[in-house]
Amino acid sequence: MNFDLSEEQKLIQETARQFASERLAPVAARLDREGDRETFLANLKELAGLGFMGLNVYQAYGGSETGSVAFSLAITEIARACASTAVTVSVNNMVCELIQSVGSEEQKLRYLPRICSGSYPAASFALTEPGAGSDAAALSTRAEADGDGWRLTGTKVFITSAPYAGVFVVWAVTDPAAGKGNGISCFLVEAGTPGLVIGREEVKTGQRASATNEVLLDGCRVPREALLGRLNDGYRIAMSELAGGRIGIGSLALGVGLAAMDFATAYAAQREQFDRKLVEFEALQWMIADSYTELEAARLLLMNAAFRKETGKGFAKEASMAKLFASDAANRACYKAVQMLGGYGYTASYPVERYARDARITSIYEGTNEIQRLIIAREVLRSFI
Amino acid sequence: MKILVCIKQVPDMESRFKPDSAGGWYSDTDLAFRMNEYDEYAVEQAVQLKEQLGGEPEVVVLSVGPDRVVEALKKALAMGCDRAVQVQDPAAHLKDPWQIASAIAGYAKGENFDLIFTGLQSQDRGSAQVGVTLAEILGFSSVTTIVGFEYADGTATVRRELEGGLKARVQLKTPALVTCQLGLNVPRYPTLPNIMKAKKKEILTLPMADLLHEEARSATVSFYPPPKRSGGIVLEGDVALQVDQLLDILRDKTTVLR
Repeated sequence: MNFDLSEEQKLIQETARQFASERLAPVAARLDREGDRETFLANLKELAGLGFMGLNVYQAYGGSETGSVAFSLAITEIARACASTAVTVSVNNMVCELIQSVGSEEQKLRYLPRICSGSYPAASFALTEPGAGSDAAALSTRAEADGDGWRLTGTKVFITSAPYAGVFVVWAVTDPAAGKGNGISCFLVEAGTPGLVIGREEVKTGQRASATNEVLLDGCRVPREALLGRLNDGYRIAMSELAGGRIGIGSLALGVGLAAMDFATAYAAQREQFDRKLVEFEALQWMIADSYTELEAARLLLMNAAFRKETGKGFAKEASMAKLFASDAANRACYKAVQMLGGYGYTASYPVERYARDARITSIYEGTNEIQRLIIAREVLRSFI
Repeated sequence: MKILVCIKQVPDMESRFKPDSAGGWYSDTDLAFRMNEYDEYAVEQAVQLKEQLGGEPEVVVLSVGPDRVVEALKKALAMGCDRAVQVQDPAAHLKDPWQIASAIAGYAKGENFDLIFTGLQSQDRGSAQVGVTLAEILGFSSVTTIVGFEYADGTATVRRELEGGLKARVQLKTPALVTCQLGLNVPRYPTLPNIMKAKKKEILTLPMADLLHEEARSATVSFYPPPKRSGGIVLEGDVALQVDQLLDILRDKTTVLR
């Protein structure tokens, strides 16, 4: 057993850390408060140029071929500086991996180089609907055969990167007569396709620089080649690709939790009350010890899930465990970080309130932590029932 | 054209350093290592020159040290160097700058390099001697502390930093060696595909014993943290008196009023 990263993994981690601290950290607070999409997209473009949008994509399609462990390391380092950027990078990678795993050769050659190179600023994963959140199989967007193509009608919500995505992976019902989850298919819809309407942008608690929109499909017509993967295989595709995405979200949560604890610990090592440094008080030492222990456990769970994925082993249970634990650990770390800064922690003069807001969604999106428990229990019970 | 870049792997300068058990250098357990900052300028300039000349020059990157230096070599390869040489020595930190320069010269003299780029100094030892000593041993022209570099037809034109904010423009014919300073360029981030492709580039390992036949000319006697500073002087009392006291201090202990 070897816990050491390879030289390549260390160099990727170092590159991500350096880029994050030099380019992302200085603007993260401003992007959170004011938006400034131009700067946000410029950073994404640079990250694409360095190869961060397709870490698990073959170089023949414009990817980096670095493997899943490097993907986890990169997302954590980016999230330490800017969670909004990290979630965009994570979703872009998930869309790339989905297209690579089920797409036709033509689809791979058309879309992967565009996402990997940054010629598309981002790509979107359009699964969730107002009536189909955790119960994704209940989605009602319809895809009806229309001549030699398809006509999509329905409403998607919480779509990351929608206003600047170059392509959307859209899930829709192709066989309403089939049993639940058996009649859903996956489509690639390019930005600008008539009938693809980017709706209202949500005002969110955290990760505010990353856009989250409603997306309407108003009789949106796509050619026959837009079908992604096999007909009526869409639900299985979504579930299996989300497992990889969970490694991304867990890694993001870890980065935010580490950023919060590193800041709060450095602060408490300087700040004095009752003529003593805050870190000399046992109450704060316990917060520090608990948080770093939990974050270290999260890191090991993530590395294990990523390593299993990279080496072709089953990883759905491990990815869910890692996402569940890392996001909860990050939220607890952020809560404690705010507490350690006291009143200052609640102000925008210090970054920990932003970390706390950014961490909150990690126990909700890419499958709520309740859904993660359901998946974990199902996987565990397989060997008992 | 053939170019050599000499790099060193040094600890992250944010680290907490403590002396090793022998007391002659820092302990390297628990330290994270990276490429010496000045050497990144050297790598970047060599790669820019290679690009300027249409990719013709071969750029060789060399590092002396234990096996962990391979990570720094791979970074240089990912930034665009063609092949790497590790002068393998687990105890490189016990060699003095004369020995390090001699060992590098032992490799370089048979290779006919036209240009050698090094950092101005290492961030850990900071002797700033290896580059110029190497140039002397090889009989190369050399210029230190460069902040600008141009090359055409066998002549390098460099700008170097002088004391007091002055700059000098110097021309030197190859074979030549320059040591690189902050401000020369902005080192590129290695791209992820290039980090992966660097795996396929050659890394030659040469034992230190095959290259070094020189005794040390200096020795590090001990390595210790600087004494803790005292708390400073707080002037109290009548303001006019404080001003007089301050003037006395500035006159006696500083050069501000001279």
